[in-house]
Amino acid sequence: MAKTIMIVDDSSTMVMSLKNSLEIAGFHALTAGDGAIAMKSLQGGAKPDLIITDINMPNMGGIEFIGKARKLPGFRFIPILALTTESHQATRDEAKRLGATGWLLKPVAGGDLVKVIKQLLPGA
Amino acid sequence: MLQAQADYLAATPIGLMADQPEPWAGSSDVPPAPVKAILENDIRLDEAIDGALHQIVADTESSALAIIQQVRDLHDHASKLVEYLEGSNLTAGNLGKEILVSMNHLVQIADFMQRLPAKMQRDQQSVTSVVREIKELGGLVGDVQAISMQSHLLAINAAIEASHSGSVGVAFRVVADEMRRLAANTGQLATSINNGLARARAAVESGIAKTLSESAQQLAEVSIATESIRRLRENLEDMNQYYKTRFAIVTKHNEDMAGDIAEVLGQIQYQDVVRQCIERIQVAIAARQESFRDALELADRQGPAFAAVPDQLASILAGYLEEEQKHLHSNRSDPADGGAVKLELF
Repeated sequence: MAKTIMIVDDSSTMVMSLKNSLEIAGFHALTAGDGAIAMKSLQGGAKPDLIITDINMPNMGGIEFIGKARKLPGFRFIPILALTTESHQATRDEAKRLGATGWLLKPVAGGDLVKVIKQLLPGA
Repeated sequence: MLQAQADYLAATPIGLMADQPEPWAGSSDVPPAPVKAILENDIRLDEAIDGALHQIVADTESSALAIIQQVRDLHDHASKLVEYLEGSNLTAGNLGKEILVSMNHLVQIADFMQRLPAKMQRDQQSVTSVVREIKELGGLVGDVQAISMQSHLLAINAAIEASHSGSVGVAFRVVADEMRRLAANTGQLATSINNGLARARAAVESGIAKTLSESAQQLAEVSIATESIRRLRENLEDMNQYYKTRFAIVTKHNEDMAGDIAEVLGQIQYQDVVRQCIERIQVAIAARQESFRDALELADRQGPAFAAVPDQLASILAGYLEEEQKHLHSNRSDPADGGAVKLELF
């Protein structure tokens, strides 16, 4: 069965680029325009196998989203990757402290992203 | 690069202003008209630039989304084509297998037909042997006829001798007559048997000749048909192999194309990277506009108030450069040069 990946980004280009890359690679993709929408989706029962989130977003940024998502029941060990142009070490450290699994710089080629996902989701 | 930008900006008139006292500082004069006009025009220019940047972001995003959709369509079309070819390949394979099974049956029949002459030759030898037996029987019938003739002559002689013996030979004459009739019947019977054997032999010999004549032509046709079937089977196997190879090549191209599409979808993300750069520029421009507006508003109320502007601009510049340094995209980030790591798993 195809693994489900949630994409959280306020950029339509990013969302559509990642969604199509992942679907072509055989994954099922869920999307959310910011952290607040993603939280609502998770609280509503969405159960992705992995989450990819931007950091700088309106309403709720990626750092806050990572912290809140980790506190949801059943999301303690779900891999969460930050995908951003943000390279500030302090922000990176904060994301790590709040439970991010990894950090990727934009842009990321579909093939590279799939490699990372398969590393984190063996058998995907 | 960013340091170079900072150095360049510091050397511009705005940057230099920070190091020099305003010529009208401390004066109660209104700001010089050219300075006011510069700031007002700059605000209008900034507004125009901001509008254009918004439009650029919207246009590039719209274009990026269209490219993504087209690339996805391309991928879907290619996948459908491969799926179709896969289905056709499977159908052709199954059909080919059925044809091969039928051909194998035909080849078996043809092989049997080709073995038939040898079998017929063996049968012919058997028949020839029968004909020889019939001939030998004909010879025995001749012996019977000869014995019949001798018996007949013996009976005639016995009848003559019996007539010379008078009344004593009457009984013997009766026996001699019976023997003569017996010899005549035996002769007739032997002739009938001989005729029958001759007809049977003629019929068998004629049948063999006819069969051999007809089968020679039919066997030649079978041989041609067998060869055609063998060639057809070889062609079919070649064709199957050809299509398998073609399908493998098409599948490989499709995989390569999927890889290229993944690359394109990655490259298109630069639109978001550029959007964020533009947004940071827009933030700096907005801050500059605000600084100028504040200065103009203050000047209108209480006279010259531009002393703070250079510091504000320097602060805006520093803030902008700091934000830029926090944001790097993966192609500009080289860890070997002290840049951020492109991928890090915690």
